[in-house]
Amino acid sequence: MICQWQERLKLDKIDLYIIEQLTKDARTPFRQIAAALNVSPDTIIDRYNAIQQKGIIRGSTIVLNPKEIGYNAMAVFMIDISPAEEGKAQFDSFSILETVIKMKDIIVASKTVGDYDLMAIGVIKDIQHLFAVRDEIAAIPGVKDMEISFWSEITELSPKYFVI
Amino acid sequence: MATKLDDIDIAIIRALQKDARVSFASIAKSCNVSVDTISKRFKKLEGLGVARGTTVLLNPKSFGYDCVASFGIRADFSHINEILQFIKKMPDIVFSTQTMGRHSIFALVIVKNVAKLNEIKETIKGHPMVREIITSIWVSDILLCPSNFDLSMAGEAKTG
Repeated sequence: MICQWQERLKLDKIDLYIIEQLTKDARTPFRQIAAALNVSPDTIIDRYNAIQQKGIIRGSTIVLNPKEIGYNAMAVFMIDISPAEEGKAQFDSFSILETVIKMKDIIVASKTVGDYDLMAIGVIKDIQHLFAVRDEIAAIPGVKDMEISFWSEITELSPKYFVI
Repeated sequence: MATKLDDIDIAIIRALQKDARVSFASIAKSCNVSVDTISKRFKKLEGLGVARGTTVLLNPKSFGYDCVASFGIRADFSHINEILQFIKKMPDIVFSTQTMGRHSIFALVIVKNVAKLNEIKETIKGHPMVREIITSIWVSDILLCPSNFDLSMAGEAKTG
């Protein structure tokens, strides 16, 4: 897999090592990475900036355990948006997406192609809270219908791509 | 039971959510405490399991993974676990869990293209106890908002 990345992005060993280290611990000092590779810290800083500019790294964050801050479950909200009606403007799914992602406790959302128009994943405290989140989404103009699945096993999504 | 967090803990979490590489010195300055306090508190948060570390957010598309999708699966109740184990073994599945509600199992998958996605769907559908599988391709840039986590419950626990 690493070879394929290398080919596509023209990443060399130094770049890959930086990505690998920072995925494990985003606070790894550049000095430490530089020492391990036997290059100067400036090289690492330049490479890191280049990787960011290429959009390969979109940012860095702390990985929290939702259970330790009061969340006991997670839920996926599968949302249908009303189709255009005659004489009325169609609901803009992007603006609905923006409203959803700004809601408290919604941590991932995207437009989708398939049986639903929009999907959002949220962290849930208890059943009352699940109802409250559902009601808040349902109240957004243009939301026609919604299906929900929820689970209590909280696992981090693959840390390489998503962090919850 | 939520861990008790005070204002300094919450300030550290909020700062690191935005940028995990931010210097402890700047957090210390904004909280008006010493750098030592911040680094001790961060270690404490890790020790308590509130924080599981820090990481960078990679863009799957820049690694050639153009297709993010989710599967909602309905299955025969007595075989849900068996099917879940079957799915968890598939390398492109990044997340899978048993669910209640619309589906019995929910899974996320990251693959290079739609052809590969179809292949995975067919494999899951090929399991004799799978009744229904609904595929949704996530088209927009996936928006991640870890800052939407509400820390007030943990904060209230301290005063309560």
